[in-house]
Amino acid sequence: MARDFNTQGRHEPNVPSNTLTYFFKEALRRIWTAKRTSFVAVTMISISLCVLGSFLLLSENLQRAVEQWQGRSRVTVYLSAEVTNDELKGVNAFLAAHPDLSSRHFVGRDEALQRFTTYFTNLAEVTGNLEENPFPPSWEIEVRPEIAQTRAFDAEMDDLRKVPGVDQVQLDWEWTRRLRHIIDLLNVIGIAAGGVLAIAAAFTIANVIRLTMMLYHEEIEIMRLVGATERMIRGPFFIEGVLQGTIGGCVAVAILAAGFFAGQKTLAPSSSLLWGFLFGSFLPWQKILVLILGGTAAGWFGSWLSVHERAEE
Amino acid sequence: MINFYHVTKRFDRYSTALHDLTFQIDKGEFVFLTGPSGAGKSTLLKLILRQITPTEGQVVVNGRNLNTMKHSLLPYFRREIGMVFQDFKLIERMTVFENLSFILTVLNVPPKEHKRKAYAALRAVDLHHKLNAYPLQLSGGEQQRVAIARALINDPLVLVADEPTGNLDPDMSRDIIRIFADANLRGSTVLLATHDRELIRESGRRVITLEHGRISEEKMQIAERAAPRSEHVFGMAQ
Repeated sequence: MARDFNTQGRHEPNVPSNTLTYFFKEALRRIWTAKRTSFVAVTMISISLCVLGSFLLLSENLQRAVEQWQGRSRVTVYLSAEVTNDELKGVNAFLAAHPDLSSRHFVGRDEALQRFTTYFTNLAEVTGNLEENPFPPSWEIEVRPEIAQTRAFDAEMDDLRKVPGVDQVQLDWEWTRRLRHIIDLLNVIGIAAGGVLAIAAAFTIANVIRLTMMLYHEEIEIMRLVGATERMIRGPFFIEGVLQGTIGGCVAVAILAAGFFAGQKTLAPSSSLLWGFLFGSFLPWQKILVLILGGTAAGWFGSWLSVHERAEE
Repeated sequence: MINFYHVTKRFDRYSTALHDLTFQIDKGEFVFLTGPSGAGKSTLLKLILRQITPTEGQVVVNGRNLNTMKHSLLPYFRREIGMVFQDFKLIERMTVFENLSFILTVLNVPPKEHKRKAYAALRAVDLHHKLNAYPLQLSGGEQQRVAIARALINDPLVLVADEPTGNLDPDMSRDIIRIFADANLRGSTVLLATHDRELIRESGRRVITLEHGRISEEKMQIAERAAPRSEHVFGMAQ
């Protein structure tokens, strides 16, 4: 015998390129053969990533709005609707006495109404029917950011609140702080809901792969008998799950993009402020990549679950 | 090459397929394994391919003790064995060519060589015109020959066949035996399980007879009729 086939201590070699081609070909063929079950798996992944992506999109746009406002440190002093001239003078005197509050602009009732109708064009009819202007006058004061969140300034604002004629003193950074909490909450909800759905999707993929493996049970047995390694047998199933997950991720991004740009086109111009913020910009490429790779990971996890389980059998 | 040391295989308390078998098949031998149905022939072949493990005793093939061989080495061991299964074990959704090409993929043979090797293997069993047929489109005998071509495609060290002529007419059976003889001449050790007494009588080979899981007879068969010289040239490995 000319050859020596000593395999003692031999390790499984790296998968050669023709084997990888075989993996992909087989995986695509199996997806095509089991179209319906594959469709269910891809749909599940798409739905879960759409949910996660929607939250990401919402928080992304709110985050952008917060960052836009964060640079400004503005105080809005709302005066009572029935403020008297004396009270007005008192407020002005207080503001004049404090050099931190020197950069200010008075917004009269008419200007406030006009701003509202500009921001919320779809509510213009409602305000037009009002007999009386409901908006109070206010002072908008730009404060230097470095002093805006100091204790001394907080004390100053407490004093201002006590001045007769002042109804409310609103600090912009409090509002953005609250919005930040909302964004954090949205992110947590999104990740939790998306995560739970992604796990469910991974289990769906696991079941699809499990079914496929049962379908190919005899073939797998033949492969083992003719000397195919476990890597070669499992490879196409792994690739099948990974492909299903990746396709699901891409479909989710496509659905989100279609929904976003359609919304931007139809909703944003008609009601400027709110929709303008929500439809500001689509997800950055990094988050798009995270969504697609999330699908890939869910697919990989699903196929790993089933292949691992079947191999142990 | 193939050594059985006091091998017993029990499937359960009441069913013992093989009783204390001890025999040796040397490198380059061509051995017939015969016996009535249920004698334990298929069990013995399954032990050689390590589809099953013995209850007692040791099985050593190609110098490897199959009882202690690591599971991760099993695929590499099986690649050295050409096995013709009684039920062919062809992959039905693949064409004849794809069935053979799959084995070559397992053996890491470059894809550009698949067609040439598959064609040569099928030519040796006279089925080269059925390259693109599916197994279910073939007769039992043709499927048998595809299974033989698959087993021989890589010139295995050991060739094991379970009733390879079971579905063939006498002339085709002789042709198949010649193909195995050619493989044997090229260096493969051959163990062939068959019921066909006629073939065994003509062979002039060593015969192991099993009955009720025991070796009832082990002899060198004297050829009763000289088999014509093989016209087949099985040059797939070249």
